[in-house]
Amino acid sequence: MSEAIMIKDAVCSFCGCLCDDINVEVEDGKIQRVRHACRLGSSKIMGHARIESPMIRKNGVLVAVSFQEAYDKAAKILLAAAKPLLYGWASTSCEAAKKGILLAEEVGGVLDSTATVCHGPSVIGIEEKGLPGATLGQVKNRADTIVFWGCNPAEAHPRHSLRYSSNSCGKFTQEGREGRKIIVVDVRETRTSKNADKFIRISPGSDYEVISALRMLVAGKGDSVLDEVGGVLKADLADIAATLKAAKFGAVFFGLGITHSRGRYKNIDNALSLVAELNSHSKFVIMPMRGHYNVGGIGQVLAWSSGYPMSVDFTRGGPYFNPGETSACDLLARRDVDAALIIAADAVSNFPRATAKALAGIPVIQIDPYENPTTLLSDVVIPCAIAGVEVEGTAYRMDGLALRLRKMVDSSFPSDEDILMGILESVHKQRQMTANEGA
Amino acid sequence: MRTITITPKKAFRISVEAENISPDKFASLNIEQIKSLTVWQGNRKIMLSDLFTVEGDDAPAKAEETTIRLAGDFFQVKRIGEGMTAGVVEVQGSIGMHAGNNMLGGLLSIAGNADDWLAREMRGGKVVVMGNAGNYVGGGYRGEKCGMRGGEIEVKGSAGAYLGEHLCGGSIRIGGDAGDFAGAANQGGTIFIGGSTYLPGAEMSKGTITVKGEAKVLPSFLKTEIVEVDGQAFQKYAGDLVDSGKGELLVGMGSS
Amino acid sequence: MIIKGGIVYDPANGIYGDEMDLFIDQGRMAMQAKGEEIDARGLLVMPGGVDAHSHIAGKKVNTGRIMRPDDARLGTEPRTAVCRPSTGYTVPNCYAMGYRYARMGYTTAFEAATPILEARHTHEELEEIPIIDKGALTLFGNNWQVMECVRDKDLTKLAAYVAWGLRAARGYGVKIVNPGGGEAWGFGGNVKSQNDIVPNFDVTPAEIIVGLAKANEMLNLPHSIHLHFNNLGKPGNYTTAIETLDLLKDIKPSRMRQVVHVAHMQFSAYGGTSWRDFESKASVIADYFNCHNHATMDMGQLLFGSATTMTADAPLEYGNARLTHNKWSNHDIELEESSGVVPMTYFRKMLVNAVQWAIGLELALLVKDPWKVLMTTDHPNGSPFVNYPEVITLLMSKPKRDAEMATLHEQVPKRTTLAGIERELDWTDIAIMTRAAPARVLGLDDKGHLGPGADGDVSIYNLRPLEVDTSLDHVLVKKALANAKYTIKGGVVVSKEGQILATPPGRTFWVDAAVPQVDTDRLMIDLEEKFAKYYSIQIANYAVQDAYLPHAKVIRAGLLIEPLPEVA
Repeated sequence: MSEAIMIKDAVCSFCGCLCDDINVEVEDGKIQRVRHACRLGSSKIMGHARIESPMIRKNGVLVAVSFQEAYDKAAKILLAAAKPLLYGWASTSCEAAKKGILLAEEVGGVLDSTATVCHGPSVIGIEEKGLPGATLGQVKNRADTIVFWGCNPAEAHPRHSLRYSSNSCGKFTQEGREGRKIIVVDVRETRTSKNADKFIRISPGSDYEVISALRMLVAGKGDSVLDEVGGVLKADLADIAATLKAAKFGAVFFGLGITHSRGRYKNIDNALSLVAELNSHSKFVIMPMRGHYNVGGIGQVLAWSSGYPMSVDFTRGGPYFNPGETSACDLLARRDVDAALIIAADAVSNFPRATAKALAGIPVIQIDPYENPTTLLSDVVIPCAIAGVEVEGTAYRMDGLALRLRKMVDSSFPSDEDILMGILESVHKQRQMTANEGA
Repeated sequence: MRTITITPKKAFRISVEAENISPDKFASLNIEQIKSLTVWQGNRKIMLSDLFTVEGDDAPAKAEETTIRLAGDFFQVKRIGEGMTAGVVEVQGSIGMHAGNNMLGGLLSIAGNADDWLAREMRGGKVVVMGNAGNYVGGGYRGEKCGMRGGEIEVKGSAGAYLGEHLCGGSIRIGGDAGDFAGAANQGGTIFIGGSTYLPGAEMSKGTITVKGEAKVLPSFLKTEIVEVDGQAFQKYAGDLVDSGKGELLVGMGSS
Repeated sequence: MIIKGGIVYDPANGIYGDEMDLFIDQGRMAMQAKGEEIDARGLLVMPGGVDAHSHIAGKKVNTGRIMRPDDARLGTEPRTAVCRPSTGYTVPNCYAMGYRYARMGYTTAFEAATPILEARHTHEELEEIPIIDKGALTLFGNNWQVMECVRDKDLTKLAAYVAWGLRAARGYGVKIVNPGGGEAWGFGGNVKSQNDIVPNFDVTPAEIIVGLAKANEMLNLPHSIHLHFNNLGKPGNYTTAIETLDLLKDIKPSRMRQVVHVAHMQFSAYGGTSWRDFESKASVIADYFNCHNHATMDMGQLLFGSATTMTADAPLEYGNARLTHNKWSNHDIELEESSGVVPMTYFRKMLVNAVQWAIGLELALLVKDPWKVLMTTDHPNGSPFVNYPEVITLLMSKPKRDAEMATLHEQVPKRTTLAGIERELDWTDIAIMTRAAPARVLGLDDKGHLGPGADGDVSIYNLRPLEVDTSLDHVLVKKALANAKYTIKGGVVVSKEGQILATPPGRTFWVDAAVPQVDTDRLMIDLEEKFAKYYSIQIANYAVQDAYLPHAKVIRAGLLIEPLPEVA
C-alpha cells in the first residue's frame, strides 16, 4: 500500500462552472475521495465502468482490435468520405480540439460542437448584438441583482450560486444572498425559482415578447404595452423593470429554456439588447450557463483557428460557417454527411431522434471513455483517457476564463490528442500509399 | 437568345455547390468550357460534366442573352445564380440553398420550391418561386447589418422563418404564410405576406410590412389607425418602438 | 545565408542606404556566413518589421472574431501544403496574423493588452500565430492590488506585485489603460480626469500612473510603462495627454529609453468641446514631444473603411456602441480590468473620421525625431495592420496626401494643419519608425537592427531606393511594401513575393523581474487574502503554466544583481 496523495485545488471537469477548489485523494493510482465537488462533479471524477478495448464492427458485431487497427479503419472511413462530420468536443481539452481541427482540415470535413444543441442560438444572437459580459468573480464581488432566465443552476450547476452568484460573498457584496435581489424567469417552478425573491412565470414560447415589453418599460415607453404579455401582468413587468434599473450591478444568466424555446436566437438577440440598454441606467452583464465543461473551449479554439466558433465547414479548404446549413443537426437532418467522428459527446442521446437516426445510415467513429447509445451504432470505437482526470489540458469556463485541468491519476488509455494524432498519421500514410499507387 | 440546359446525371446524396452555374460565368464559354467549370461535392472538386449533362448552343453569348434551364431536381444543388447580373436561370423543379445569393440583375425563376437563404444579400433583379421557399428568404449573412438591398422576390406559396431578415431595400411578396419573425430588423424594405405570420417586424427601424392574414404583434408596436387597402381593412402599427423604429406594420382585419 | 548587394537601411547602426552584403549564421546576423545566397542587388533591405502595439491575441480579439462572422468571411484563403487556412480582415484568425505580417516583411508583433487573469488564453493564441516573434503587455492600471499599494504609498510592494504579475501572466511590460476608469466601470462609471478619485479606492489615475512608472523603473524593465490615457477618444482630450505626460517628466529612466510610451496618440490629440467643434491638436502634442525626451508614441493611424475597435477602455466602447448603434461586447475582469469590442466603419465624408485620419499623419510628420514615433494603426482599432503600406506611403508622399484629402470632408484643412505640412519621410525615417524605434522602445536588443548578433530577421522589397521617387511613385511603393520580395525570419526565408514558404513557430518574449523576497512575502499576505475572498479561482490555478509557452524567451530584469534561479 502506498501513501495516499492529496491533490489540491484541482479543476472539476463536469460543467461550465469549472470549480477549481477540488481536493482529490489518490491511493494506489486510484481516486479514493473527492472533496468540495458537487454530486455531479464528484461522480464524474470518480468515474465508472469503461470501454476496455478499441473495437471495429465486423459482421454487425463490435470486435476488439488494436489501437493501430482502429486508427487505420477510422482514417479509411474519413478519407473515403466526401463530407465527414467531426462532432462533439465539449467534454475534452482544448489541446484535443486543436488536433481535431487539424484533422478536419486535412480530411475536408465539417467540425461542430455540442453548442449546436445547446447554446448555438446564443452564439448567433451574439453575432447580431455582441455580448456584454464579465468574469464570474465580477458578479460575485459586485452584483446586487441577478436574473436567472430559462435556467436552473440549482440542479444543473449546483455550486454556481455559492461560488459565483446568488449566495456568493465578495468585496461589495459582503451580505451575500441577503444583500441581493434574485429574479427567476421560467415557464415552470424550479429549485432555482424557490430561492428567488421574485419568480416570473411566463407562457412557453413568449420570451421574446416579454423581453420586448421589458425593453419598452426600461426605456420609459411602457404606456403602449398591453396589460398582459406572455402571461405576465404589466404591473409585474414594470416592477421587474424598476428593479433592474435600480441595480448597482446586475447580471443575467440564461439557459436552454430561452435558447431552445420559440424564438431561439432572436430571444438572445433581444435579451442582449435589453442588457445593453440597461447599461444606460445601471451596470449590467449577461452570460450563458454553459453545460458541458469545455463547450466554451472548443468555441474559443475554433474561433482563433478558423475565425468561427462552431459549425465550421472545411470541405472546400477555406473555412465556411453558416449555422442552419453547416451545423451538425441540420446536416444530419438533410442527410448531407457521409461519415461521422463523434468525440467527447453522446450524439445519439443529445440529437433529435430523426437526426440521430441519420447517423445509423453512415459509418461512425466514436472516441469516448464510456459506452453510451452512440456506441451502439458506431463502426469504430476507440476508448480514451479522461481529460481533466487522467490527462492535463485546458478548458474554458462559462465566462470564457481559461483554466488548466490537472492530471490526477495515470491511465493505460491514450488521450484524445494521441488518438486524433494516430488517426491523422494514418490519414497521411494511406494518402501517401494511394499517391504511390497512382504514380 | 442562347439557351443551355443542365440536367443532373443522378440524385445527389451529398449536396453540390455550383456557384459557376450562372449566366455571367457561362457568357464567354463554349459548351466544352462550361462542362469543365468547377463544382464541389463535399470535399471533392470536380467538373460540372462529372455530375450534369450540359446541352445547348455552343457559341458564347452575353449574359443578358443567356438562359440557363435547369431540368430535373436541383434541391441538393446550392448557390446557383450567385452574383448573376443578367440573363435568366429557369429552374424546372426545385432549387437548393443560397440560390441567387448576391444577385445583381436578371431573372431567377423556380417552378418548384426553393431551399433556405433564397436570394441572400440580393441587390437587384427578380426572383420568382412558384412553390414554397425556406427560411431566410432575402436575408443576410450571419453578423451582417444588411440582407437584401434591392430587387424583387415573389414566392407564390409560403415562406419559412426569418423572412427578409435585415432587409435594407427591395421588395418581397409571399402569397401564403410566412414563418416566425418575418421582416425582423427591417431597415427600409417592403414585405407583403398574403397569409399569416408570427411576431413580424421585430426591431424594424424603417420600411413596411403588410400581413393580409393574421399576425401576433409584439408589445412594442403601437396601434395607430385603420386603413383600407384594395378593399380590405388593415390595422396599422408603428414600430418597433424598442429602438424608436419608424417602420409600418399593417395587419389584415378580415375581409370586409 | 548571404544577402548580396542590397541597399541597406539599418539606422540603429548608422547605415542609411548603403550598398552592402549581409550574413546570417545560425539564425543571427553575423560578420560572415556561408550557404544560400539571396540576390538583393539594388533592392531595399531593412531589418524585419517590429510592431510594438497591436491587438493580436487574447479574449477580446477572439470576442471580435466570434461577434463578427461578417468580417471573418472577408479574408478566406484555403489551406495549402504549407499554410493553415486564413480568414478575416479586421479580426483575422491566428494563422492569417502570422502569414500577413510575414508577407509585409514584419517578423515581430506585440499584443498590447492582456489582463493577468486571462493571460493563459492570450498565450494559447500567441502560440498558434506562426512565424513571427511576439510578446504580450500586461494590464495593471485598474488592478486592486496596484491601487492599494499606490494608496498606501508602498512602492516596494507595488514593484513586487508588478514583478509577480508579469511572471504570473508571462507578460512583457506594464500596460495602463484608462487607469481608474476600468474600476469605476465595474459599477458603470468612469473617471473624467487624471485627478478624479477612483471610487472605493481613494487614489487618482495620476497617482496610479506615477506609481507604476516608478515601479517600472525600480524593476529596470526593458520597456517603459505603456499608457492609454484617460479620456481617450473624447474631444478636448489633448490637455489630459499633456498634463499626464508632465507628471512623468522628472522620473529617471533605468535604461536608455523613454519613461513612458504613449499608445495610439492619435486618439488623444483632440481639441474642441464636442464633436461639433472637434479639431486636431496634433501640433500642440507634437510641440510637447519636440521639447521633451521622456516620452515616445505610436501613431494609432486611422484609415477609412472597416475596423474593429477593441480596448481595455470599456466605458469608451460603451459610448462607441451607443453612438454608432453597433453591436457591443463588454468584458469585465474581476479585480483587474474591463474591456470592450465594437465594430466600426470610418467614412471619408464624416468630418470626425476625416480629422482623425489627418491627426495621425500630422503627429508623425510634426514630431521631428522619428525615434519618438512608431508607425501603427493600433490594429484593428484604426485599421487592420495589413494596411501599413498605405500609412507608410502617406507619410512618404505629399502628393498622395493631397490626393486623399481632396476626397475627404471639406473641413479637414480648417480643422487640421495637414494641408500645410510639406515633409515627406524617407527610407531612413521609415526604417526607424517601423523597425529600429519599436525595438528600442520595447527594449528588444536583438530586434530592429542588422548588427552582428541581432536576430536574422530581414525584409527585402522589390524597390530600388536609389531610383524610385517615393513621392510620385507611391502606388508602386505601396504595392512593393504589401508583399516583400523576401521576408527572412531567423535566417529562414518565410515569405517570397507574397507566398508563404515556411512557417516556423515564433518565440514569445516575457520579462522575469527579480525582487527581494521580503517584499514578495509582504505582498503574498495581501494576495492570499484577495484569492480567499474575492477572486473566483484559487491562487494555485492563477499563473500561466510553462506548458503554454513552449517557445519562450525569458528576459531577466529586476532589483537583484545576483543570478536568478532558472524558471522551470
